[in-house]
Amino acid sequence: MTSLGAAPPSDAAAVEPQRRPGVHPQLVVGAVLVGLVVAMALVSLVWTPFDPVRAVPAIRLQGPSATHWFGTDRLGRDVLSQVMAGSRITLYVGVVAVGISAVVGVPVGIVAGMRGGVPGAVLMRGADVLLAFPGLLLALILGAAFGTGTTTAMVALGIGAIPAFARVARSATLQVMRTDYVLAARAANRSAWAIAWRHVLPNIAGIVVVQCSVTYGLAVLAEAALSFLGLGTAPPTPSWGRMLQDSQQFLGVHDNLALAPGIAIAVAVLGFNLLGDGLRDVLDPRLKGVR
Amino acid sequence: MKRQVGWLAGQLVATLALASALVFVVLRVLPGDSAVVALGVNATPQALAQWRAQHGTDRPLIAQYGSWMGGLLRGDFGTSFVTGRALTPLILDRVQVTLIIVGLGMLLALVVAVPLGTLAAVTHRSAWGTVIAGASQVGVAIPNFLVGVLLVSLVAVHLGWLPAGGWTPPATNPADFWRHVILPSVALGTVQAAIITRYVRSAVLEVMREDFLRTARAAGRTRAGALVRHGLRNAGVPVVTVVGVQLAAMLIGAVVVERVFVVPGLGSLLVDAVQQRDLQAVQSIVVVLVALVVVINFVVDLLYTVLDPRLRVVAR
Amino acid sequence: MGRPIVGRMARPTLRRTTAAVIALAVTMLAACTAGSTAQQYPGGEGREVTIAVAAEPVNLDFTTTSGAAIPQLLMNNVYETLVKIDQDGKVVPMLATRWDVSADRTQYTFHLRQGVTFSDGRPFTADDVVASFDRVRTAWVNAIKGKMDVVERTEKVDAHTVLVTLSRPSNSWLYNLGTSVGAIFPAKIDFDLKTQAVGTGPYVVTSVRPGDRIVLTGRNDWWGGPAPLRTVTVRYLTDPTAAVNALRAGDVDMLFNSATGDQVRQLQKDPRLQVVEGTSTGEVLLSFNNRVPPFDDVRVRRAFAYAIDRKAVMDTASAGFGTLVAAMVTPQDPFYEDLTGVFPFDPARARALLKEAGQQHLHVTFDVPNLAYATTAAELIVSQLADVGVTATITTDEFPAVWLDKVFTRHDFQMSVIQHSEAHDLLTVFHRDYYLGYDDSKIAPLAAAADAGTSEQYVAGMKQVVRMIVDDAGGIVLYLAPTLIVADKGLDGIQANAVTESMDLTALRWASTSSGG
Repeated sequence: MTSLGAAPPSDAAAVEPQRRPGVHPQLVVGAVLVGLVVAMALVSLVWTPFDPVRAVPAIRLQGPSATHWFGTDRLGRDVLSQVMAGSRITLYVGVVAVGISAVVGVPVGIVAGMRGGVPGAVLMRGADVLLAFPGLLLALILGAAFGTGTTTAMVALGIGAIPAFARVARSATLQVMRTDYVLAARAANRSAWAIAWRHVLPNIAGIVVVQCSVTYGLAVLAEAALSFLGLGTAPPTPSWGRMLQDSQQFLGVHDNLALAPGIAIAVAVLGFNLLGDGLRDVLDPRLKGVR
Repeated sequence: MKRQVGWLAGQLVATLALASALVFVVLRVLPGDSAVVALGVNATPQALAQWRAQHGTDRPLIAQYGSWMGGLLRGDFGTSFVTGRALTPLILDRVQVTLIIVGLGMLLALVVAVPLGTLAAVTHRSAWGTVIAGASQVGVAIPNFLVGVLLVSLVAVHLGWLPAGGWTPPATNPADFWRHVILPSVALGTVQAAIITRYVRSAVLEVMREDFLRTARAAGRTRAGALVRHGLRNAGVPVVTVVGVQLAAMLIGAVVVERVFVVPGLGSLLVDAVQQRDLQAVQSIVVVLVALVVVINFVVDLLYTVLDPRLRVVAR
Repeated sequence: MGRPIVGRMARPTLRRTTAAVIALAVTMLAACTAGSTAQQYPGGEGREVTIAVAAEPVNLDFTTTSGAAIPQLLMNNVYETLVKIDQDGKVVPMLATRWDVSADRTQYTFHLRQGVTFSDGRPFTADDVVASFDRVRTAWVNAIKGKMDVVERTEKVDAHTVLVTLSRPSNSWLYNLGTSVGAIFPAKIDFDLKTQAVGTGPYVVTSVRPGDRIVLTGRNDWWGGPAPLRTVTVRYLTDPTAAVNALRAGDVDMLFNSATGDQVRQLQKDPRLQVVEGTSTGEVLLSFNNRVPPFDDVRVRRAFAYAIDRKAVMDTASAGFGTLVAAMVTPQDPFYEDLTGVFPFDPARARALLKEAGQQHLHVTFDVPNLAYATTAAELIVSQLADVGVTATITTDEFPAVWLDKVFTRHDFQMSVIQHSEAHDLLTVFHRDYYLGYDDSKIAPLAAAADAGTSEQYVAGMKQVVRMIVDDAGGIVLYLAPTLIVADKGLDGIQANAVTESMDLTALRWASTSSGG
């Protein structure tokens, strides 16, 4: 667990960040961890130590060695190669899920925040109905209806996160709408479009980016949970959640099988969370506390 | 205040109605014939036709939805397509189990997180604060099933202190109930504790910067005294929010921990029902889960107005 | 539950939280202490056994519901049959003490055991046998009822003698009588078969908790003497790791096929446990859809048979437990012969055959049920097929619902893998209407002739049928799954050979109590 031990940041600076210039430790550590995962994914596209899906039964369940740093799994596949390749699915699921929720949730939140009244209320009630379906529940229902797999998981997690984005965007928009420059713009009869585009969006971008990062971490965890339940990515595509599930039966005997994907998940989630925290402090001192 | 409660309650009913219709529509596109699953691969065609007539799956969808809703309003969830048993007692039984482990998990989380988060905030400039903050960051990043698996391995298998899984209802044997409930609750609560610690910490930090605390301290109160008297109540709003959100997520998120500890909760029942294409069970369980989530959100909204009158304005 | 917690915690105060911490800590401590005293290893004490089994019955009625889980629990233990298939696959007396067969082999006279009662107290007589056999034709909707089609009529001779007349001689019928289709129910069924079971066996079903457990209680008035155990609790643990943990923690005493092969290898090292490997009737089959390309081409099917290293599949999917067989015939069957040499592992031959069929760059879809052994085997097979230039794409189908619907019912698949557990299911599986769509026009008449012939003709005829099926490679038997039992060392009377669908618990007992009683 050494890589985890290194992770807890000294975040004394985070308390009153807006008063302290310079490098933000949480941001840096978060960026480094996320960068690590991204780098791993990129490298795995062109190179892994072994073919991550090629089974070699003769060398199954070997412990860590100079050849296989994290050992081999029950099919004789190299664990390190699988962890590397698994990062691709993790990042992919996160990107699509966060993309869906941001693309739908942010406009809904902005409209609700700018318009208020009946349309705003209707939009937010719509989001509230969705709020009643946590991502995992949605994934179960959609998985049952359309078949389980990576696509269903991403879409379900994405839809599940829409209300959170809508709420964040709406409350941030409400604040922006009360600022002098927006009041001035409205007095000057600027169109709603123009106000949304020129004033609202740039001003809430910070908090949206923060929400993206936080949601990303949650999506990584949720994907792992789904794969753990056997409702996520189909084999043989390597996935951290399924590696964890596969490793369960070897716990206490081949701990390397659980440790490798477990650490990978923790690093990725920790990275996105720290990145989110850091970004919140750096990008948006003014809107701090909106959430 | 009264108008507000009425408004919120109206939303609750509307949300439920909409959600049930959504669930029904989505589930009707499910692949898989409940009749085949119920009767098995060797069922004869006549048997299948008879089954469909008996369970009404050959009727128009509107009629099926109508009789389902009619049953729900009477508190009758119908009969399982697969086992032929009444669903109401089964679902009530499972709801109870899930609520117990989720409730205990959350209780445990709060018991740990509130003092720890406050401590972290108060000592944020010292090593203690840093350690708590860092540990909670790491805790948030660890999947709860990993915690569960590790607990089973360590506490149940190696040390043999507690059973590895299974369930005893509290009424049957209280001592046995506690032995079975501890590990799942701890597995659920650990990660929640980490999440809530972070929120408590930042909420308290926020409060500590506010004027009334400075005033209270200026008026001669000690730092801790001022915090306890005035600070915690004000820090309550964000904490209640996160507790509500987390409780809602835990209801279904518990399924993973239920699986690890073989706890017969609602989530496991849902996963089983989905795998068996027991439509009647799936839609009823989903509606129950959704209702619980909606009620939690409702309570959170109510608490907002109680805790912080200022929010009534913002909410409009 | 949610409301009070949210309400109380909304205004947490340090004092209140401290009190709560202490209260919880005290309860937990109390619970732990209570736990450790109750944690004693069961040893030879008592007459209670808890068994972990993976697949749960959906109800108790196998006359209208198919699936192996119901007869697995009820046959022999609750419901009995006139004849029993013993651990070596031989037909031996049970509710019939002996039987006479007419010279033309169409009339069977069964002499029934006397002094047998059903668990509700009713005596067992010829009427029950006649009613039970008649009900197969009239009330059963489970297709295995076809095994009794050969019965023309069942007549009561006297209270303890029954005459069964067959429409033609059949070598397989008497054997089938020892399976669930021959189960003896009370003549008058005045209870719900889905929720209750009234049989003549040593145990009664006393409690059913769906998703959790079924409790069997021993009868003192069983014809074979008092049941050796007072209660048998069957816990349904789908997840193998949960089952193993329950065993290690002493929550269950025996795992009946509920751990993976790799886990059993680990448990073999535990001195407190015994591992018993028995045979089963469950062949793990790589099935092709013979109706559609590319598997309507026998060259492609044979190429796959050469491409797959079945030994490696068995070593990986069940840690080497099991038996390599080439057909859906078990070593207990009279017409068994070792045909594993027909298609040796030979990737070069596979490639040559694929080339001959013009399929050097073949893409196939692979529907895999979400069952541990199937997923493991599938992943390995995909890897092995890749070595001969075949790209197989896995689709995971939830079992049972999706797999049954897509593969089994709608035949919407190219290749799948699943274990076929039923005994003597060779001709069921390789039947034109079954999901494989195997062309049985050549074998069907041979098989019918063999069943009607003498026992020598039966064996010779069936051997020929089996060889033809193997050569056609309509599906590839990967291995014969083992029955893997891991139990407390103190348990005696474990019947590991699953020769029929039954999990036979009738002899199970704790060693120390068996000597006394």
